[in-house]
Parts: sequence; C-alpha cells; structure tokens
Amino acid sequence: MLKKILFYLILALILFVTLFPLYWVVTTSLKTLRDAFAMPPVWLFAPTLENYGKVLTNPAFIKGFANSMIISITASVLAIAIAAFAAYGIVQQGPERRRSLEGFVLSLRIAPVILFVIPTYYLSMRLGLLNSHGLLIAIYAFINIPFAISLLVTFFEEVPKEMREAGLMDGASELRVFWHIVLPVVRGGLVATFILCVLFTWNEFFIALVLSGRNTQTLPVTITSFLTFQGIEWGALTAAATLIMLPMIILGMLVQGTVVRGMAAGSVKG
Amino acid sequence: MKRHGMHHISRNHARMFYQPVVGFLALAAFALLGYAIWLCLHNISLMTTKGTQFVGFQNFVRLATDWRGLQALWRTVLFIVLATSFEVILGIAIALFLDQEFRGKKFVRAVILVPMIMTPVIAGLTWRFLFNAQSGMINYWLSTIGVAPVDWLGNPNVALYAVLVADIWQWTPFVVLLAMSTLETIPKDLVEAARMDGASEVRIIWHVILPMLRRTLAVAALIRAIDSVKAFDLFYIMTKGGPALSTETQNLYGYTVAFTNFDISYAMTIALFLTIVTNIALMLLNRFAMPKGVR
Repeated sequence: MLKKILFYLILALILFVTLFPLYWVVTTSLKTLRDAFAMPPVWLFAPTLENYGKVLTNPAFIKGFANSMIISITASVLAIAIAAFAAYGIVQQGPERRRSLEGFVLSLRIAPVILFVIPTYYLSMRLGLLNSHGLLIAIYAFINIPFAISLLVTFFEEVPKEMREAGLMDGASELRVFWHIVLPVVRGGLVATFILCVLFTWNEFFIALVLSGRNTQTLPVTITSFLTFQGIEWGALTAAATLIMLPMIILGMLVQGTVVRGMAAGSVKG
Repeated sequence: MKRHGMHHISRNHARMFYQPVVGFLALAAFALLGYAIWLCLHNISLMTTKGTQFVGFQNFVRLATDWRGLQALWRTVLFIVLATSFEVILGIAIALFLDQEFRGKKFVRAVILVPMIMTPVIAGLTWRFLFNAQSGMINYWLSTIGVAPVDWLGNPNVALYAVLVADIWQWTPFVVLLAMSTLETIPKDLVEAARMDGASEVRIIWHVILPMLRRTLAVAALIRAIDSVKAFDLFYIMTKGGPALSTETQNLYGYTVAFTNFDISYAMTIALFLTIVTNIALMLLNRFAMPKGVR
C-alpha cells in the first residue's frame, strides 16, 4: 500500500514537471495583465479573452499564420509525393543495396542545417529570391524528403511482397502496382508521415529565421519579433504561443506512435 | 526460370522509383558541399568592398586561433555531454519506473510526448518566462523555501545551465518513450527467473534489464548528441548567446558571424568544422561504443 502511494506520488511529480510549463503558458494567456504578474501567483482567476483579441487582430500574426500554413502544407505534400516513390523503390532492393541507400539518406540528416543555410542564403540573396514563398517551400521540401523516405520505408516494408508480385504477374505495370495496390495499403503511414512533416516545418525556426523575408515570415519568427517590443508583453505573447503550439500538439498526439518512430528513423531536427 | 527473369526486370523498374530522387539528393548534396568548400577557401564578406580572393586555409587558421570560437567550442562540448547524459540517465530511470501495469498508463505515455512536439521556440519562451528573475515561477518557488532569487538568464555563471534545464525538459521524454517501447519487448520470464533466484531489484536492473536496453540507449544517446550540436532555438530565444557570450555555442557563433557580421566565408568555415567534428564523433561512436548492428 505504501509502495503504491509512493508510486503515484512520483508519477504525479513526473506529470507535474512535464505539464506545468504548458499549463502556465495557457493559463497566463487567459489572465489580465495584473493577474499575470501577481506575486504570489494567482491560481484562481476570472479568465479573459482580451489577449487573444489582441493577437488575432494583429496583422503580423495573421500574416505569419497564413505563411506557416501555406509553406508547411505545400512543402509537406511535395516531400511526401517525392519520398513515396523513392521509398517504394528502395524497399524493393536487395538487402545490401538497401542498406547503403538508407545509409545515404540518413547521412543527409546529420549535417548541421547551418552548413547549407549559409550558401543558400548567399546564393538566394544574389539571385534576389530571399523574400519568396517558393524558396522556403523548396528548402523545407528538400529537408523533409530524406526524413520522409526513412520513415516511409518502415511503412512500405510492412506491405506483403506477394501483393506486389501478384500484381506484376497479372501484367500490371510497376507504376500501376505502386498506385493501385501498394499506396492504398500504406495510406495510414502516408498520413502520419505527412502530419510529422507539417509538424516539423511548422515548428522549424533556424531556416525560417535566416531565409524568410518580410512577406514570408513563419510563426516562430513572427513571435520573436513580439519579443523586441518595448518590454515583453507576456499576455499577448502567451496567447500567440498557445495559438501556435496547441494545434501542433493535437496533431502530434494523433500520430503518437509515429512520432518516436519518426525521430528514431533519422535524427529529427533538420 | 521465367519467374526469376521477371523478378529481375521488375527490380530494375523499381529502381526507377528511387534513382531520380536519390540521384538528385546526391547531386544537390555534393554541389552544396563543393560550394561550401569553395566559400571556405575564399574571403567573401558582405561587409567589405574587397573583391573575392582565394585565401587558401587562412579561414581555418583563423578558426584555430580564435579565442571566442574556442570558448564556444568548449561550451558546445560541455552542453552536449551534460545534456546527453542527463537526458539518457533520467530518461532510462523514468522508463524503468513506468515499466509496470498501472491505470492510466496510456494517458501518461501520451502526456509525456508533449514537450518534444511543442514548438521549440515556444518551449524557449516558456522557460524564459519561468526563469524570469522578478516574476518567474522558479524564483517564486525558491523563495517559498527561503532561497534568494537567482538571475537565471542574466548571470553568466548560470545561464548555460538554465538553457540546459529547458533542453532536458524538452528531450528527456524522447529517451523515455524509446526506452519504454524497448522494455515492452523484453521477455518478462527472464526477469521473473532472476527474481525467483532471489536477486535484488537493483541487481536485476543492472545485470538483466540494462544489457538488453544497451542498443536503445546507444541510439538515444547518439540522436540526442547529434541534436545538441545543432541546438539553436532554445539558446536564441532564451539568451541569444548572452550574457557576456556565456551561452554562445559554436552553432550560435556561426550564426552571428554569418548574419550579424556577414562574414560568409568564415561562418562557412565554422559550419564545415562543426560538420566534420560531428561526423568524426559519430564514426568513433559507431566504431567503438556501439553494439553491433546499430547505425
């Protein structure tokens, strides 16, 4: 009995440490300025949506939201479309070739992003591309492809080999087999991989910081510009933070099993 | 025979599915690497009007004798070692703790996921908020047990550790989840047998469970180490490398050189150095510290 109580106490502690920061941000976003900075902190307060009103009428935030949506969705669709072909082809290879291909794909994920962001920045600056959505979409698609390949390979290999062979025996072309037989089977995996690509692109900061311009800023960059206003407006900031992260946390929860698998499939952060 | 022949052809057709993609990726990677090396061997800086010149290894010599860079390197190493070891040890401890049947296990597993899918910039902001010297919760709690307030992010002696705490908070769950899923695949009868023989729980963990977790631990440590070389978001948001450069890592230094000083060639040299060091460390790890079969 004592052991059980101790177990639940420690469990509660772990959950508290994990969740308190999130809880604190979300509740602060619902507080008035006075409540937010009260010392000792107020635990019970009358919630207000004032901060959300402020954020949702801020043109920079709206613009950032639109940019994040456009860029993360387009880049992820592109990446998945390309990676699905590659993953299908790789899975059909013999073990030796497969290992070297997967090794190569993985090695693309090991280099620090800064290694290719600097040349990309320098080139795009000279070509006058810095302020375009196309540049960011292309870069994010490029980054997501190796990740999507390593993850999709794990889904494709679960498709029974006989399905493909039976299709080929019946005289269907490889493309037909891929499209009509294999893809429908891995639909779930495709969706999960797509969600993870969106999640990473949405959360990514370094590339966006360097390569985005006034018109293409994504949300993580937009929110840092909130920081430099005279002093920090924690109320508006926490409201913006909540609006940025909660949708992603919910999406991430939906593909729970895939998150860890995806992270292990190649070191995650670009 | 016929079947074999067809198989051969179809395998070739399947190759067409990846060759263009992998070919393009390889081409892009090599072109970029070549261009990166070219940049390193020149003196391109957007701040000077000097023409582009070939300077050979001058940038590398500069890096080797750059005091600020060397300190950043030392800090990077310190951060990697501390972050990786804390995250792996704490992660494994939590996973072992959770490796039993209890109500709400599924819920706990889902909740533990939250920090790692939280937008890193927001995680940084959150911890900056919690570590705030005047109104932050950390100092408030410390005050309730009579500890004087600490200027977490403003004191050069503690700022790095404040960022470390945030990193540990965000990434320990990754190790927990990885270890938890491995623990579930471990045959329970081995543990039971040891328990029957009267082995203590500590001995069981040390001699039975940990050896079986070795591979997972190695993978987790590797991924965490690679990621902490690249750590940027938390640092940028929480301290921007300050105060007094006390949290500037190589990655941040490279960023500053490139996008504040616009010294493109020198920044590239730092980035290339970082890449080479990461790869050597990886190879060494792979060769000596990894059990067989771990990439």
